[in-house]
Amino acid sequence: MPKNRARRRPPIITGTLLGLFCLLTLSPIIWMTLSVTKPTNVAFANPPVFGGYQPTLQAFVDLWETTYFADYLTNTLVVAVVSTVIALVIGIPAAYALSRFPNYVSALLLVLALIFRALPRFAVVLPMYDISRSLGIYDTTFALAIALVAINQPFTIWLLRNFFADIPRELDEAAMLDGCTRIGVLRRVMIPLMGPGIITAGIFVFLFAFQEYLTALVLTDTSSKTVPVFIATQLGQTLPMLQQSGAAALLLTIPVIFIALVAQKYLVAGLSDGAVKG
Amino acid sequence: MKRREFWLLFAPSFLVMGGLLVIPLIRTIQWSVENVRYGTPGTFVGFDNYVTALTDPRFGRAVLFTVTVTVITTAILLVLGYVIATGIDRLTKSRPIVLGLLLVSYVLPNLVGAVAFSWLFDDNFGGLVNRFIGLMGGGEVLWFTDQVPNAILIIANTVWHMLPFAMLIILAGLQGVPLELRESANIDGASPLQTHISVIIPTIRGVLGFVTLISIMDVLRMFDNLIPLSPQAEAIGNESIMLYVYSVAFANGAQELGLGSAINVLTIILILIMLIPFIRGIFKEAKALR
Repeated sequence: MPKNRARRRPPIITGTLLGLFCLLTLSPIIWMTLSVTKPTNVAFANPPVFGGYQPTLQAFVDLWETTYFADYLTNTLVVAVVSTVIALVIGIPAAYALSRFPNYVSALLLVLALIFRALPRFAVVLPMYDISRSLGIYDTTFALAIALVAINQPFTIWLLRNFFADIPRELDEAAMLDGCTRIGVLRRVMIPLMGPGIITAGIFVFLFAFQEYLTALVLTDTSSKTVPVFIATQLGQTLPMLQQSGAAALLLTIPVIFIALVAQKYLVAGLSDGAVKG
Repeated sequence: MKRREFWLLFAPSFLVMGGLLVIPLIRTIQWSVENVRYGTPGTFVGFDNYVTALTDPRFGRAVLFTVTVTVITTAILLVLGYVIATGIDRLTKSRPIVLGLLLVSYVLPNLVGAVAFSWLFDDNFGGLVNRFIGLMGGGEVLWFTDQVPNAILIIANTVWHMLPFAMLIILAGLQGVPLELRESANIDGASPLQTHISVIIPTIRGVLGFVTLISIMDVLRMFDNLIPLSPQAEAIGNESIMLYVYSVAFANGAQELGLGSAINVLTIILILIMLIPFIRGIFKEAKALR
């Protein structure tokens, strides 16, 4: 940040307004937290009750004991981790190659990446459903993970390529003069320099997989169901089940809030770099 | 880089994208001209599916609804995103914590966010928003069964989910505006509002264009948030294009794959047309670097 901006008077009005705005954007989560920790008869009271009840974690206990939530959570995490690892392992070399090959091939591939990022999900997910059934891998965490790798690969490459493009080519050339091969340059020179870029891309791919509802809805059934799909199926059910779906939603929300606060630097870098340079 | 090296590094990613994006996409295009069910080969029917889609009033309503929501949401995102970004641009010490809190609604799974959002409006959970409207002297609003209030609810949720993204991109753009430019506008006697309209906004129009593009692309495809927010979407006329595809081609054993695929192809064509300026930009950049 430029120095002269930091020297300005602390903007009290702006700060207060933004504070209120933060509170407003967090209000759905605050209200959900309250609703989930109320006894069931109080949670669904109208007019709403704000106090005078004993907060309880019964909805979480019920969620754990009466549903397969633990399995769904495991599935969600396995899918997110596996797809993040695969996406980075194949995405890093591809992005490096694209950043060092500035001719029409590379531009054309980037255009394709952009187009695939914009596609309506169903245009690829419905055929994937058909294909996964005929291959016998329908309703497996692997099929969902690899599908998400492919769906998010254009964005992964796009983001990583922008980070690679910042590293001067002279570095490649110097390392190659010293006897490194291309792969050696990537492994010994580029990847150590790319730390923040790789973390940024990793966080995004993880989040995308963690958030995914539509693809999981189509490609899973019972044995590899993820938490968002579970929450959606609970919605039109009884009131206690509704409260349990809130508990499940909250359990997904907590890690995500943690990521937003801790990894904020990388999220901001990923969003603004991808846009401003791309 | 040599051609051989390029392909060696690019091949794994290329194979995954080819096998899992390009082949399914070709399948969708092929299905769109067929009468087909899952697991069985289809029969060629020409453009019948396209004719069915384009003459189905339900599809017309879905397109109208989706486009309306997209236009309104994008406009709100640009204005609100700009205002909030300008505010955050002034913050110094508190900036990281404010950004972190604002990011929460973006990193939350869309469906989970929409569930939480719907509970604020749901009379089953005390109807907090309706209580508030009642206090202000308003009547009861049927957020889930009345078309216009439900559309407002959907737009509010979409803005809530996408605003952090729009705001961050615009903020990055604002930080690229040279300080001298603002100062010279100041010296010339421009009011703060004039400075924004005639100096800052034209300077960051590329960034605003990008926000517009992503917002249009993402809202046109909306699906997840409608599941909790509009359980009776079709009956009240608030069905999105993707929800329509889902209900004809997948939900509850539906098998009209041909029709669903035709709608997907039509959506793709619409998106491609909007991408043209950006594709041109990339090619220009590639030429300049050569």
